[in-house]
Amino acid sequence: MTTPASGSQTISETGSSLMAPLFALWGPAYHSQFSQVTLSTASSSSGVGISSAAAGTTNIGASDAYLSPADMAKYTTLENIPLAVAALMVVYNLPSVPASTNLKLNGTVLAKIYSGKITKWNDPAITALNPGVTLPSASIVLVHRADSSGSTFLFTSYMNAQDPTDWSSSLIGTTVAWPKQPGEIGATGSGGIVSSVKTTPDSISYVGVSYLSKVTAAKEGEAAVGNASGSFVLPNTATIDAALSAFTSTPANEAISLINGSGAQAYPIINYEYAIVNTSQSSTTLAQDLQAFLYWAVTSGTTQLASVNFQPLPASVVTLSEAQIAKISG
Amino acid sequence: MTASAPVVRPEGGAGQDPLPRRAVAALRAGIRNGQALRWTGAVGAVIPALALAFVLVVLVIKGWPAFRIDGWSFFSSKAWSQGNQYALKPEIKNGYELPPGAAYGALPLIVGTLATSLIALIIAVPVSVGTALAIVERLPRRLAYAVGLFLEVLAGMPSVIIGLFGAVTLGPIVAHDIAPYVARNVPDVPVLSYFAGKTGSGYGLLTSGLVLSLMVIPIIAATTRDLVRQVPILPREGALALGMSDAQTARRVTLPWVGAGIVGSVVLGLGRALGETIAVAMVCGASFGSFPSNLYDTMITAAAAIVLTLEAALTDATGYALSVLAEIGLVLMVITLLTNIGARLLVRRVSSTALPVGAGI
Amino acid sequence: MAAHRQTAGSLGQIPSVPIRRRVGNALFWGACFLALLLVVGPTLWLIITTIGKALPHFHWTAVSSDTVGAGTAGGLLNAILGTLVLTVGVLIVSGTISILTGLYLSEFSRGRSRPLLRGAYEVLAGIPSIVLGYVGYVVLVVQFHWGYGLLPAVLVLSVITIPYIAKATESSLAQVPSSYREGAEALGISQGWALRKIVIKSAIPGIITGMLVALAIAVGETAPLLFTAGWSTTNPSFALTHSPLGFLTYAVWEFSPSNSPINSANQLSYDAGLILLVFVLLLILIGRLIAARSRRYAE
Repeated sequence: MTTPASGSQTISETGSSLMAPLFALWGPAYHSQFSQVTLSTASSSSGVGISSAAAGTTNIGASDAYLSPADMAKYTTLENIPLAVAALMVVYNLPSVPASTNLKLNGTVLAKIYSGKITKWNDPAITALNPGVTLPSASIVLVHRADSSGSTFLFTSYMNAQDPTDWSSSLIGTTVAWPKQPGEIGATGSGGIVSSVKTTPDSISYVGVSYLSKVTAAKEGEAAVGNASGSFVLPNTATIDAALSAFTSTPANEAISLINGSGAQAYPIINYEYAIVNTSQSSTTLAQDLQAFLYWAVTSGTTQLASVNFQPLPASVVTLSEAQIAKISG
Repeated sequence: MTASAPVVRPEGGAGQDPLPRRAVAALRAGIRNGQALRWTGAVGAVIPALALAFVLVVLVIKGWPAFRIDGWSFFSSKAWSQGNQYALKPEIKNGYELPPGAAYGALPLIVGTLATSLIALIIAVPVSVGTALAIVERLPRRLAYAVGLFLEVLAGMPSVIIGLFGAVTLGPIVAHDIAPYVARNVPDVPVLSYFAGKTGSGYGLLTSGLVLSLMVIPIIAATTRDLVRQVPILPREGALALGMSDAQTARRVTLPWVGAGIVGSVVLGLGRALGETIAVAMVCGASFGSFPSNLYDTMITAAAAIVLTLEAALTDATGYALSVLAEIGLVLMVITLLTNIGARLLVRRVSSTALPVGAGI
Repeated sequence: MAAHRQTAGSLGQIPSVPIRRRVGNALFWGACFLALLLVVGPTLWLIITTIGKALPHFHWTAVSSDTVGAGTAGGLLNAILGTLVLTVGVLIVSGTISILTGLYLSEFSRGRSRPLLRGAYEVLAGIPSIVLGYVGYVVLVVQFHWGYGLLPAVLVLSVITIPYIAKATESSLAQVPSSYREGAEALGISQGWALRKIVIKSAIPGIITGMLVALAIAVGETAPLLFTAGWSTTNPSFALTHSPLGFLTYAVWEFSPSNSPINSANQLSYDAGLILLVFVLLLILIGRLIAARSRRYAE
């Protein structure tokens, strides 16, 4: 069904703080079109989105990470439905580096930084990538997500894809055992990352593109990230679309990593933004309203994507998403 | 005789009122006698005991799988990893599933909990006792009333607001002013190495301790004040008659007189600090899996660990993460229960104001 | 020999206070005053920053409209109403159980049962609220499939607040002079009537004070509510299950500057802190009024 039922309904959503700004826009936009449906959205983390959808405490769990094989085996009625394409930025707080300079960093360097093999900003590995930029000799302060985060999943997948020696595959996930460095900070939520980096000089971290305006306002630097072809790119429409074109076969359950796609201009850390939904709902009206909203999101909802720097799904993936949406029943 | 008060004839049989009427009459008699109150009261009084038993049973049942997997080494390990969540098959240990590579240890959590509470007590005890003495012995009645009001406000303040104060106001001051000053000027003695080193970002052990001390101070100060007020006048006058100054009287007569009560309130404050969750979660820096290297480093406590990871625990389909949290909850409960039982054996509650003297908000 | 300062007096040589003792005295009380400042100062600072961060940019929309998104716009009406609904629920459930508990322990229980039952609720008071939140989440929300809602939240909050009201009830009933009960018995009044109309009536100020404490705790709790009430940007619906509700402490935690970079959300966090502070002050005031009133009418 593509239109909601006539009775008034509240749809609850929680999960990914990366996706939260988008839901914050979708809620009022959808409500102004269908006033009987109110979206109650919250920003927590992807892990909470998956958990809550599994436990039935929310109607839509937002997640940057697709369901793990173990989760899919245990929660057989859960499906992850991509709604948009997002990207992850690497940000840092270096007052001595001008804002217009985008420091070049790649997965190998990042993996060495986060595993403690590179400890200072003026390490030869970093200066080699950035000739002409004077880097301070200060110690790098690591900031990561303390909660169960899809951003962590993306960032660790990227480090492992480019440097499996320094960052093994056992360190990929929404929560990982970060090798402890002195002064390391665990922030809560993407907002926590932005504010922790802002208040901590010489820090580095990762946060989704939906927070670009906050990052810029906080005077934090955005890194040009090295992709599989060796070029250093910033996330924008061109680079994200270039990366998307490298992944042509999304499976039916749509659980696929879009990390480190090939292509000269491809941005290496992109992902589908998923709505984790239970195919068996408690009532037919709820199922109908969920279907209607999700259909709206992948079709008319694309108008809001630009303000959070997301990209719409390719047409083939929209078809797959709609197929999954059709499975929701009450 | 009215018809509603049946006459019970010893011989029974015909002549007695029908059963419903007798039952209603018995009920009304019961209400008059207080029997109804007694029975509803008994039902009500059993409920806390049932709730307590329920909580214990749930924690033990939920924590059992993790205990079987890790055993007692859980309490001496400092691991913290949810393992390879995206592995295809779970590991099996001792009959229970867990993600490959998953490992949890409670030692950093226990150390963090005890360290923050210790710092809170070190700050709170002298400050509270001094405050109480100043209030009782020195301040005029009106000022004492006003300060008492301050203590009540501090005691009733939701801990999340104190946490906000710690994160937004105290933390930056610790990071920019206090920590660098102390770290620069502390003598280079091994014992004091905890005060030196990297001064961090304001999120860490020291800020957590400061925030906790704000919550513990009203408990100790108010109880001590009430206790000191009740010290009889005779011993104090006797001390003055012997030529002791009032400072000496306070130190040698008044305080020892209420010593047990003060210790009891300190233990109560300790219980509060041990169970505090949200304020510490906001300022601790959430560094799992390691010990703080100095006073300003980030760390984690048991309660903060639970509040930060519980809602996402179900992503671990094997149930191991959820089970570990039950184990941590049980450890926390045992620690706070021991301290609270100690407190109740020591303190005689004479508080005249409505202070919430209890543990863990 | 310690230095003495000679003081003249009509009684002749009065041994004067040695300087060392005077200084010691002054130092001691100086330290105590310093301690007093260390308590009053930060408390004032805390109150002032709580008010000062919220008041300058306070809009009435904060109390009249619901939150939009993650604090991107709107106000706190959903949270205020949610907190109120939770408070009423807690007063009803916890109040009933606790008053009955206190009543039973004070008036009826004899022998072994009294220390056992009293020990039970005192041990309950020692359980950290996060542990109760865990149990509420794992059993009520997940296992029983109640989801977030009024029922699990009120049950968990009640368990947290029962010890305070029960203790207050028990001690205020104990403080009712036994002459009341004896006089009632002498007049031939049945125990039930005496309890209801005489004893409990005299204990009401103490019971209400206990309920005010419980109110302050229920309003100020965060951790257990995060896992039983969830969060909602819509007004509470009074459905017992499957209906998350907002509450003020969530706004303080989740919209704080360390968790959210959105300025309007930060403002909501400060506003929620201000509203909570006002509420706590109100409770303290009411408590003081009741205490003063009952002192006036005391024997």
